Amino acid sequence: MRPFKFTNTTTSYAAINLLDKNPNASFLAGGTNLLDLMKEDVERPDELIDITRLDLTSISSITTGTNSRGVSIGGLGKNTDAANHQLIRKNYPLLTKAILAGASAQIRNMATNGGNLLQRTRCSYFYDTAMPCNKRMPGTGCGAMDGFNRMHAIFGWSDNCVAVYPSDMAVALSALNASINVMQQDGKIRSIAINDFHRLPETHPEKDNVLNRGELITSIELPKNNFAAHAAYVKVRDRNSYAFALVSVAAGLVLDGNKIVSAHISMGGVAHKPWQALKAEAILKGKTATLTNFRLAAEAEMSEAKPLSHNKFKVGLGINTIISALEMALKGTDFKA
Amino acid sequence: MEEKNKSIGKAVNRIDGILKITGKATYATDYPAKNMAYAVLFKSTIASGTITNIDVSEAEKSQGVLAVITHKNAPKLNLKGGLRGGALLQSPEVYFYGQHIGVVVAETFEQATHAAHLVKVEYQKKEEKIDFDKLAPLAVLPQGKELADLIRGDAKGSIKEAAVKVEETYETPIEHHHPMEPHSTVAVWEGENVVLYNGSQVINGAQTSAAATLNLKPEQVRIISPYIGGGFGSKGGQWANLVLTAVAAKIVNRPVKLALTRQQMFNSVGLRQRNKQKISLGATIDGKLISLAHETTTHTAVDSEYIEPCGDCSKIMYETPNSLISYRVVPMNIILPTYTRGPGKSTGSFALESAMDELAYKLNMDPIELRLKNQPEKDPSNGKPWSSRKVIECLKEGAKAFGWEKRKSKPGENKIGNHLIGYGVACGTYPARQRDSSAVIKLNRSGNVVNAIVEIAASDLGTGTNTILAQTAADGLGLSMERITVKIGDSNLPPAAGSVGSVGAASFANAVNDACIKITNELLVKSNKKFFVRPTASQLMISENINDFETRADAKPPKEAEQHSAHSFNANFAEVSVNVYTGMAKVTRFLAVTGAGKILNPKTARSQIIGGNIWGIGMALSEESIIDPRWGNFATRSFGDYHVPTNFDIGKLDAMFINEEDKIPNKMGIKGIGEVGIVGVAAAIANAVFNATGKRIRTLPITPDKLI
Ligand SMILES: Cc1cc2nc3c(=O)[nH]c(=O)nc-3n(C[C@H](O)[C@H](O)[C@H](O)COP(=O)(O)OP(=O)(O)OC[C@H]3O[C@@H](n4cnc5c(N)ncnc54)[C@H](O)[C@@H]3O)c2cc1C
Ligand code: SF4
Repeated sequence: MRPFKFTNTTTSYAAINLLDKNPNASFLAGGTNLLDLMKEDVERPDELIDITRLDLTSISSITTGTNSRGVSIGGLGKNTDAANHQLIRKNYPLLTKAILAGASAQIRNMATNGGNLLQRTRCSYFYDTAMPCNKRMPGTGCGAMDGFNRMHAIFGWSDNCVAVYPSDMAVALSALNASINVMQQDGKIRSIAINDFHRLPETHPEKDNVLNRGELITSIELPKNNFAAHAAYVKVRDRNSYAFALVSVAAGLVLDGNKIVSAHISMGGVAHKPWQALKAEAILKGKTATLTNFRLAAEAEMSEAKPLSHNKFKVGLGINTIISALEMALKGTDFKA
Repeated sequence: MEEKNKSIGKAVNRIDGILKITGKATYATDYPAKNMAYAVLFKSTIASGTITNIDVSEAEKSQGVLAVITHKNAPKLNLKGGLRGGALLQSPEVYFYGQHIGVVVAETFEQATHAAHLVKVEYQKKEEKIDFDKLAPLAVLPQGKELADLIRGDAKGSIKEAAVKVEETYETPIEHHHPMEPHSTVAVWEGENVVLYNGSQVINGAQTSAAATLNLKPEQVRIISPYIGGGFGSKGGQWANLVLTAVAAKIVNRPVKLALTRQQMFNSVGLRQRNKQKISLGATIDGKLISLAHETTTHTAVDSEYIEPCGDCSKIMYETPNSLISYRVVPMNIILPTYTRGPGKSTGSFALESAMDELAYKLNMDPIELRLKNQPEKDPSNGKPWSSRKVIECLKEGAKAFGWEKRKSKPGENKIGNHLIGYGVACGTYPARQRDSSAVIKLNRSGNVVNAIVEIAASDLGTGTNTILAQTAADGLGLSMERITVKIGDSNLPPAAGSVGSVGAASFANAVNDACIKITNELLVKSNKKFFVRPTASQLMISENINDFETRADAKPPKEAEQHSAHSFNANFAEVSVNVYTGMAKVTRFLAVTGAGKILNPKTARSQIIGGNIWGIGMALSEESIIDPRWGNFATRSFGDYHVPTNFDIGKLDAMFINEEDKIPNKMGIKGIGEVGIVGVAAAIANAVFNATGKRIRTLPITPDKLI
């Protein structure tokens, strides 16, 4: 790890200003991703601005008058607290399930919601400074493209980068249509829809998302929904815990009897961002909730996948995982708030 | 001594358990030294070639740096000193990706790590040999004599006559040992002598190889290793890091600590090599084997040879008139493979016992019945009688305990919700051997209380050696365990074998037992009293009023052992559950039934067996290291990519031992359990996966992509 300066602050605005002063500074939240990357010499900030003391940890209802529009969770709240909060377990069990499917209890106790959104890819060429990687070092090439790309993307990749974005939480946020509030340089808050927040690699894989340098994630807003009783998160991985997704699916079904009013499906482990299964959603809208329709929708969604040399299995696995998640969602969310 | 007062055979707690859980057990890096400096290794980023320039100027100037050592300024070391894997900074040549090419020594670990990033290296690359799939056809006969083709009858010819055949190739990937304690050393020079605190499975081996490499006499090097945080073979032979720590300490003239990072562990301390194993089984229609061929193709390092003996199980498991065991090997630019838990047997049994399952399926026969049908009367490889062999008991008692009768013989028929359930069985074996070891016992009496100190340069990998030696001494001297102090893990103690190849318990315990017998005899000679029952050493110390007495025994394996074939055997039973959508498999139940002679301590023995089972589960379902053939680096480079099992991957584990009285391999009847616990495990799981899904996976690990 390179030497760095450690700076404390207690207000968001001060944090932004501190970052603005030093082009080589980074915010430090839980540190579970950033510190690992610094030890590997991938990230090389010379100053860490500790934002863990900012008052951005609360979880609360968003109300207009007496009507609740949804729930807001603080950007610096811990993943564990978000997963276990009554408001979340009751109204957004999908988010609880997705967070708990990620990492380990110890890491979730450290990891923050904002840090989770900004975690970087797990592509092993990105982590190994001896390897070419356009994301780490633009212009050096993509090590994974012709290398070991079993874990990599099947949707939306470019010749510059085939990495996948690793967060489980964000996949649920995508299906939940969340929005991310960030404080800009001028201290004002702007809101970004989760599905516009992360980018595809295109010609700039070094940019994971649309945040501008120096912007601070203050909160995540979850709009009200009516599929809490029919939601599922299925994560397929190489071992039963503590591994990143080969494919994951967050699914919520708004049902009218056996009829699907709307389906909300997002996938993880397949693209540089949470992948909205828009085709599957469109097919399912208005249909009856049957295994045949689930399969039709899943196959349509996966029909445009472009797998790489080592991950052809993700197409079939994607179909199965969508079906499995829809089946579980239909059966009903299996835990009490 | 009355049976009820005996320690041996009781499930007693580890004598060092409290020390370990309170953090008081001193592992290598726990040794404090005044004025310690910290060393960090840096590694090559090519697999084959020559270093043409190595610029350390920036690193040397970096804060806190005391020295940067590379091939340019390293002292001359003896490359043939017995260390494994080379990488001793003796030349600019690079033989594998991740070879050590230098050491930074600094005031702090962080400063050394940072400076290591500042070293700039230029290479002249040579064509590297790293693509095993391409190179395998070029493999040749190994140099090792024990790996020559072993031919009985005519396996290739006779299989043509067989009514039922299985001819398949089974593949196992590179695996890593990854003990909890990464390889670490503290080196402290005292004049011309050096003390090396270093986790070592073989204390005297570490001493002699370090001394020879450093061009010192063995007595100039002292190894201290009372506790080891696991090794699984990787701390059997020692690697460059041990000696490079001593070199660094000499150069900066201070004590130096060097600990490998988890990431460096991937290419610093050996590995289990990739194997392609072709098994050809021919049988009669009623399931009698007439032919068995086991042909292994594997790789080794470009500058030395290690091959795990995958054909060993096939030599002795089944009766067959025609048999062929062969090895072919190709050198590659990868670190030297090394002993890895159940070397050859864990991987070999995966191939053999999968093939037996395939044969049973083709014969429409229960796989247990097929195995029972082909049990050999004598060791088929050399005609020697078995010292004992409890395979039949393992299979039968295991089947009963596991509920084997609930297995559906047709795959895919046992479904609960979205999960397919399957049962599998597989057998395993490992040789039982005793090796020369010496032990000293020192008795001290004060009043009517006698205490004993046991001294032996044994090692404890975490398996419970300390404890079984205390049990052995307690029984041998007529004392309770609390009266025994066990001193091990120091090359100044009487020399002993190592905790390798399942020889530890038999070698160490017999040495201690011999010393107990000897000290009792010597005390008896001193007494002129008449005894009707043989007194214990403790009673003699009191009756003869002796304050201090000691003796040493040099134990050797019994001659009789040579005339017999002595092995531990097991039968493994697995239940798996496979999600039909996701292809994720989980071992929901596992039972290992082992016949391993005298079980000294059922508690630590059980831990050893289920520990082996757990690695077997990793081997079967998730562990695999992948090399990028373009560069020779591991694309799987952390615990995020190399998947060892988590708690959640482990279902209910059970270990049973078959009662076995066998004094042929050694006086105490100990056969060893360290290695056998992993043998047969992967096959039992793969067979259960087949029984669940109808999918025969012949390439490990069985990841979800292979089951959808
Ligand atoms: C072994 C391991 C396994 C894991 N497994 C999983 C898994 O299975 N699934 C999964 O989803 N995740 C997994 N993770 C990732 C984990 O969820 C993330 O590391 C964690 O969420 C990051 O949060 P943090 O607060 O520690 O972020 P940090 O490491 O502190 O920060 C990450 C980045 O975000 C920036 N940042 C942080 N907060 C803000 C903010 N409020 N505003 C602006 N910028 C900010 C930082 O500057 C930094 O660049 C795993 C991690 C590890 C180490
Ligand atoms: S996939 Fe992206 S992150 Fe991975 S090597 Fe290619 S450019 Fe780098």
